[in-house]
Amino acid sequence: MIAHRTHVPQGPIQPGLTNEQLATLLGERFALTRDASDRWDLTLVCKAEQLREVVKYLRDEPTLSFAMLLDVVGVDYLAYPGHRSERFAVLYPMKSLAFRHRLVLKVMVDEEACVVPSLCEFYKSVEWAEREAWDQYGIVFAGHPNLKRLLNHHEFVGHPLRKDYPCQKRQKLSMNDPMIDQLEARLRSLGYTILERGETSVGQAITRPSAVPSALPKAGGKP
Amino acid sequence: MKVITPQGEHVDLMTLNVGPSHPATHGTLRILAALDGENIAGCVTEMGYLHRGFEKMIEQGTYSQVLPYTDRLNYCSAMMNNIGFCKAVEKMFAITVPDRCIVVRVILSELSRIIDHMVCTCTNLVDLGALTNFWYFFNTREQVYVIWEKLCGARLTNTMTRIGGMYRDTYHGFEDDVRAVLVKIESAVHEVRGLIEHNKIFIDRTKDVCAVSAADAISWGWTGPCLRASGVDRDLRKDEPYYGYETYNFDTVIGTSGDTFDRIMVRMYEMIESVSIVRQALDRLKPGPINTLDARLSLPSRDQVYHDMEALINSFKLVYEGVRPPAGICYDATEAANGELGYHIISDGGTNPYRVKVRPPCFTQYAAYADMLTGSMLADVASSLGSINIIAGELDR
Repeated sequence: MIAHRTHVPQGPIQPGLTNEQLATLLGERFALTRDASDRWDLTLVCKAEQLREVVKYLRDEPTLSFAMLLDVVGVDYLAYPGHRSERFAVLYPMKSLAFRHRLVLKVMVDEEACVVPSLCEFYKSVEWAEREAWDQYGIVFAGHPNLKRLLNHHEFVGHPLRKDYPCQKRQKLSMNDPMIDQLEARLRSLGYTILERGETSVGQAITRPSAVPSALPKAGGKP
Repeated sequence: MKVITPQGEHVDLMTLNVGPSHPATHGTLRILAALDGENIAGCVTEMGYLHRGFEKMIEQGTYSQVLPYTDRLNYCSAMMNNIGFCKAVEKMFAITVPDRCIVVRVILSELSRIIDHMVCTCTNLVDLGALTNFWYFFNTREQVYVIWEKLCGARLTNTMTRIGGMYRDTYHGFEDDVRAVLVKIESAVHEVRGLIEHNKIFIDRTKDVCAVSAADAISWGWTGPCLRASGVDRDLRKDEPYYGYETYNFDTVIGTSGDTFDRIMVRMYEMIESVSIVRQALDRLKPGPINTLDARLSLPSRDQVYHDMEALINSFKLVYEGVRPPAGICYDATEAANGELGYHIISDGGTNPYRVKVRPPCFTQYAAYADMLTGSMLADVASSLGSINIIAGELDR
C-alpha cells in the first residue's frame, strides 16, 4: 500500500506567501519559470523529470504545506494560435490549507512519448484525476497503478478532448465493463488470496438481439 | 468467489452489483462489491454513466453558451454553477460587477446552498427509511423554486447569471418572498432535527459509519461540507473571501469524526448559517444597476441600440460573437454547496473557450467512496452515498 503523509492544519488559515515570493523561492530552488499566460495568478512551468521532486517539496515543506492537489487538467495546444512548443500540457492546481496561497504547476508534454510521471504516491486524489486525463487526452502517467478509462466507456477508441477528435463522431459501444479484474486486484491489495473466480453473472457480456433493424423506417412513409 | 481472507479463513465471497439501476445510485453509479455475508470485503466503483462530453461541447460554443451547460453540473443548486463560471470569466476581464449584483448573487448562492443541502440530507434520510423528513424539506424547497420561477421563469436549470451581471433584476416583492421562505426553512430544519437528531435508529445507522479522518479527507482532496465534517475548518467563503463574504457574520460548521452522522449534521447546521447570511444580505440590498456597463460584456440598452450606430454594432457583436476574454490560463473557484467548484479556463483570445476544465467537488468524494465502504456493511452503501452528495451531473460531466 502507498503511504500518504498529510498535514492536518490547526486553527484559522494563515496569510502565507505572495505569488511573487513563491515564484522567487521555487525559481531559485528548482529553476521553475513563471508562465506568462497566467496573468491573474501563479502558474509555474515545471519539467516532467523534476515534477515529483517539486511536488514532494511543495507538500512537505512546512512553510509551504501544499496539502491538497485539486485537479489534474489535460490541455491540447494543437489548435492554439501561435503555439510552438510541445502539443500537450498537464496543469496541477494546488492549494495549501494552512496558508492562503495557491499555485498551478504546468508540465509540457511531448506528443511522441506523451508521458508524465504519476503523482499517485503523494495524494490520494490523484489516482482518478490522472485516469480522467488519460481517458480524455491519452496522456500516460508513468507509475499509475490502474490507468483505465474513467468517464468514457471502456470500449471507446481514441481520446475525445484532443482537438483532432471530431465532436460529432459516433462510436458503437455495447458491452458493460466486467470490473471483476479490478475487484480481484482490490481484494488482493487488502490481503485476500483469490482461489477461484466462481460462478457469477457479473462480467458476462450483454448481447443485443440481432432483430434490431439496421435502419429506422423513414418518417412520413406509409406503414 | 472463493478466497482466503487475511486471517487465513477459506470463505466464499458473493459478488454483487449495487447499481447503476438502484434507487440510491440515481441510475448512474455502480459499485461492484465482494460480500462476506452482509459485510463488504472489498469493492470497486464505476462512473461515467452520465458522461455527456460537457467539456468538449463547451469548446464548440461561445462563453455565454456555456452558461446553460453549467446549470446541468450540480442541478440541485444550478445558480451556484452559473455564478462560479461567470465569476471566473469576470476575473479574466478584471471587472467587478455592481454592488447590487454581488448582493443578489450572495442571496441566490446561499438559497441554492440551502436547497442543495435539503435535497442531500432528506434523500439521504429516505435511503435510511426516514420518509417524513422528505416532505418537510421538499415542501420548503418548492417555495424556493417558486421564487426562482418568478425570478427567471425556470425552476431547476435557471441560467440566471450573465457574464457581467444577471439576466434581469429581481422582481417587485422579491425581498418579502425571500424573508417569508427563510422562516419556513428555519422551521423545516427545526422539524427535521427534532425527528432525527436524537433518534436511536438514525444514530445507530449513521454514527461511526464510513468515517473519514481529517488527514484522509485532505489527501483525497475533499472540500466543502464533507471536509468540514471530518473536522477541518476550511471554507472558501472564510479563507479566500469573495463577494464580501468576510463582512457577513456567520460560522463555519465543523464535525468531529467525519462519519455519516457528521456529514448530515454539518449540512443541517450550515442551512441555518446560510439563512443568517441571506438575512444580512437582504438588509444590504440597495437599488442600483445590476449589470456592468462595460461594453465588452454587457448588451447596450434598447434605447441606445435604436439611436446610436456604435451601440447597434456592439449589440450585434455581443450576440453573434460573444465576449472575448484576454488570452491566457485562469483558475477561479467558489464555495459551492458541495465544496470547491473550480473552473480552469484557457482562452486563446477568441470567442469560444479554448478549454474549460471543471473541478466538480463531488468527484474527489466519489473517488474515496470505495475506500470508505471497505469493511462496512451493505446497508451502509446507501446511507454513506447520500451523505457525500454525489451529483452525477457534475461528477460525470
